[in-house]
Amino acid sequence: MDYSLDLGAVTRNFGPLLEGLWVTIQLTLAANVIGLVLGFVIALLVMSRVALIRVPATAFVEFFRCTPAIVQIVWFFYCVPMLFNIYLGSMTMGIVALGLNLAAFNGEAYRAAIQSVPREHRDAAVALGLSPLQSTLHIILPTAFRLAIPVLLTNGIVIFQQSALVAIVAVPDLMYEAKSLATKTYRPIETFTIVALVYFAVSFPISQLVGWLERRRSVAMA
Amino acid sequence: MFDGAKDQTALVRMDGLHKSFGPVRVLQGLDIEMKRGDRVVVIGPSGGGKSTLLRVLMGLENINAGSISFGGQPYISVKDGKTVIDPKVRRSIGMVFQHYTLFPHLSVLQNLILAPCKVNGESASGAKERARALLTRFGLGAKADAYPNQLSGGQKQRVAIARALMLDPKLMLFDEVTSALDPELVAEVEQVMLELAAQDMPMVIVTHDMWFARNIASRVIFCAGGVVVEDGPPEQVLGSPIHERTREFINRVFHIRT
Repeated sequence: MDYSLDLGAVTRNFGPLLEGLWVTIQLTLAANVIGLVLGFVIALLVMSRVALIRVPATAFVEFFRCTPAIVQIVWFFYCVPMLFNIYLGSMTMGIVALGLNLAAFNGEAYRAAIQSVPREHRDAAVALGLSPLQSTLHIILPTAFRLAIPVLLTNGIVIFQQSALVAIVAVPDLMYEAKSLATKTYRPIETFTIVALVYFAVSFPISQLVGWLERRRSVAMA
Repeated sequence: MFDGAKDQTALVRMDGLHKSFGPVRVLQGLDIEMKRGDRVVVIGPSGGGKSTLLRVLMGLENINAGSISFGGQPYISVKDGKTVIDPKVRRSIGMVFQHYTLFPHLSVLQNLILAPCKVNGESASGAKERARALLTRFGLGAKADAYPNQLSGGQKQRVAIARALMLDPKLMLFDEVTSALDPELVAEVEQVMLELAAQDMPMVIVTHDMWFARNIASRVIFCAGGVVVEDGPPEQVLGSPIHERTREFINRVFHIRT
């Protein structure tokens, strides 16, 4: 193979990559705000006793869980403007597409956590005279949030990685900048290796944090 | 002293309680009258309805038929197939469960003051003062700021008892509170219960520990097949039971223990 490594081609052009990383981080944070808030609402809807509420919410969750994220993003970019005559700019569309996807997964995380609060704790709350609302606010939700945190963090970091998919619809994120840099410099190995390392450098500490939280929880719940 | 301890009028009256879980009939016409001075230990084979009886009494289960009154007031009844529970009456009953039910996100002190503050509107400072006094009495003064995961099983159950007592219950229910404990931790929990007994706290206890039953009970009820089979002082029911079914059960239990 006649290819000598030249990292300088990438390091000399780090500016656009950093800009791309900043866009990626903005996408991730904004999608997580949507995912954390809307996901909680979805969890409540999915657990509703009213079928008219429960069925559409469940359908929403299953749609996002059972189709590839890249298809969701492409569909969102091309079909929503045509069907509904809405176009919000590529960044906003990217945030909404990723946010809805995350909301579906976080909804399941919240639901599982709420349902895993032991029945005995609900019983104890009743025995202590707490009303159903008080029991939900003071016992079930605080316990459930703590149980859900590791999964919510994991989902959040997955969205950080999935956000690379929006590059194909021209959001100038880290992956998009990497592609154009690789094309410009003819240095795909250096560029994509360094970009992979950047994604890794952000994700790895958070996944370590999740591991630490889970170990701590297994002690706390014992 | 808990008021009315020497009073011999009925504290609880259960009339014709019926309870089914699907096709399984757990309570089949249970009648029990409990006086204010009674410390009732309920024994019997598993599936005989002991725990269900306590859960019904705590208002945690719906019933199919029957009624319960508490201190002369209607407490639980069935109207049009629906169980009606008076939540005000329910507040005068406290319960401790077999499994640990301390809320893991709250410290010991916060566990104790949650209900007094949220339900009774007591001030946090007043509730904390009472809570600390109660914890000190149970030898847990140093654990006020600990979290449940930092406590042993025996300490958790003692805190759970203290938490129930914070609401000044007129009746305490104990559902196999030492069954999940390591053997060496059982005594410290039973000690606290004996202390309450010495102060004439009315209680209903479900336990498999026959030694403890004999020590704490003023009255023992043998429950099997969803009905009361035998009801009498501990010497009779545990020592020389009248009914054949009780005798069989007692022989088997004491046989296993030796």
